[in-house]
Amino acid sequence: MKSVRQLLIVDDNPADVTLAREALEVCAPGCQISSVEDGVEALAFLGRREKYANAARPDLVILDLNLPKRGGLAVLAAMKAGPDLRLIPVIIFSTSKLNQDVVRSYELGANCYVCKPGNLNEFFAAMKSIEQFWFGAATLPPRGE
Amino acid sequence: MSGTAVKLAIESSAAPKPKLRVLLVEDNSLDAELVIRALRKNSFDVEAVIVQDEDSFIEALGTHSPEVVLADYNLPNWKGMEALTILRRQNLDIPMILVSGALGDVLAVECIRQGATDYVLKDGLARLPEVVRRALQEKHERSLRHQAEKDLAKKADELARSNADLEQFAYVASHDLQEPLRMVASYTQLLSERYRGKLDENADKFIGYASEGALRMQVLIQDLLAFSRVGRANATFTNVDCKGLMEEVRKSLASAIQESGAVITDADLPSVWTDRTQMSQVLQNLIGNAIKFRGTKPPTVSIQAEKTREHWQFCVTDNGIGISPEFGENIFVVFQRLHARTEYPGNGIGLAICKKIIERNGGKIWVESQPGKGSTFKFTIPFQSADEGKA
Repeated sequence: MKSVRQLLIVDDNPADVTLAREALEVCAPGCQISSVEDGVEALAFLGRREKYANAARPDLVILDLNLPKRGGLAVLAAMKAGPDLRLIPVIIFSTSKLNQDVVRSYELGANCYVCKPGNLNEFFAAMKSIEQFWFGAATLPPRGE
Repeated sequence: MSGTAVKLAIESSAAPKPKLRVLLVEDNSLDAELVIRALRKNSFDVEAVIVQDEDSFIEALGTHSPEVVLADYNLPNWKGMEALTILRRQNLDIPMILVSGALGDVLAVECIRQGATDYVLKDGLARLPEVVRRALQEKHERSLRHQAEKDLAKKADELARSNADLEQFAYVASHDLQEPLRMVASYTQLLSERYRGKLDENADKFIGYASEGALRMQVLIQDLLAFSRVGRANATFTNVDCKGLMEEVRKSLASAIQESGAVITDADLPSVWTDRTQMSQVLQNLIGNAIKFRGTKPPTVSIQAEKTREHWQFCVTDNGIGISPEFGENIFVVFQRLHARTEYPGNGIGLAICKKIIERNGGKIWVESQPGKGSTFKFTIPFQSADEGKA
């Protein structure tokens, strides 16, 4: 039996988090979504520190680039430097279309880069395809509990 | 203190004469006296410092601030022409006139070639005042010209900076506006989808307007970004084969061409020195417009180029609805439109981008048209070098 999929969204814009939840509620009703608002919180969550001691290890991280405290690229770099965290697929989800952001993300080991669409239907479609690919077609690494 | 510097202030008794600070490089005090007398005679109120070696020359430059240097060619411990080297090294624009015994034509010419302003023989000192006056006049003109050039360069600098600031501003503003606008657009859409028919009829209409407005603004911001990028992107100039480029342009306009049944002809287009992507954009926008603003007949568009003395001139001629000459300038301004959106779609960015590209390229763009009689858009591309014009 498949266990519940754990998804972590790192985004400081609550409106985007809500949109993502709205989209996933429709296409992935069984998915457990957690969200944090900045880079420091994200690393605490992933490291299960302090108030996140009991947090579930995410199967997938959706990471915005422009974050307070520690930026998305710093979070990505820290994840890819950790022995267990490096296995978790990271999807960069940003409004930036700058080549340098895209290239830097892949250099640091992002698993894919998706531009946040400006239009609701496209936003929903993007979330849906992320869910279908990563929680459907793709085989994820086993959770190193 | 090394060397000797003798300061001779010769008071004048006649009518007020212009003051003149002279630095005289001369070992013979009698010759020096003759030179000063020659200048004083009905001409200048001379204040002279006489030196005969390098150290005292350099010192006098600082303390005396001479307006003119008069130098003997032969000195026991120094060479008069070396005064010129020192003036150059110190970046001083002070005329240096050789005052010497006979040097011979070859040597005299060589001294002038090296930068001496003029050459006066010791037994022809009557010429000296006129030579000095002319040298000072030339220096004055030189400094005026230099100042004018400096002012112009400063203005150009300021203009370039303010343009760059403006472009940066347009870019940042439009980039940062996208983010909040995305929220407005997404949530009004979500409202309209989730609550359509659940509120009253007005609510549906209001949400619809808000949502359409947000979507339209997104397109405008993207256009503005595209416009500001024309200035930001570094143009890469190469020899662009416009015939080959037209193939690409046809491909990108394929659906518009097919839909409208447009016939597009181009004859003998040249290779021009420009940025390939930008040139493609210009042709695409102009041909795209020719198709969009068509009349009742199927559109025909012809692209031609001819070589004038200064540049290539391109013409894009169509049989479309035409433009009244009074709007000929307006259409190149950002977001200027002549038609309701329902008649012809678009935001009025295409021609503004064309104009920006062409002008950055050093050319001009304009339109010749009458309503109902089609339009001809013309633009120029400068030659890569003057030789291209002759070839």
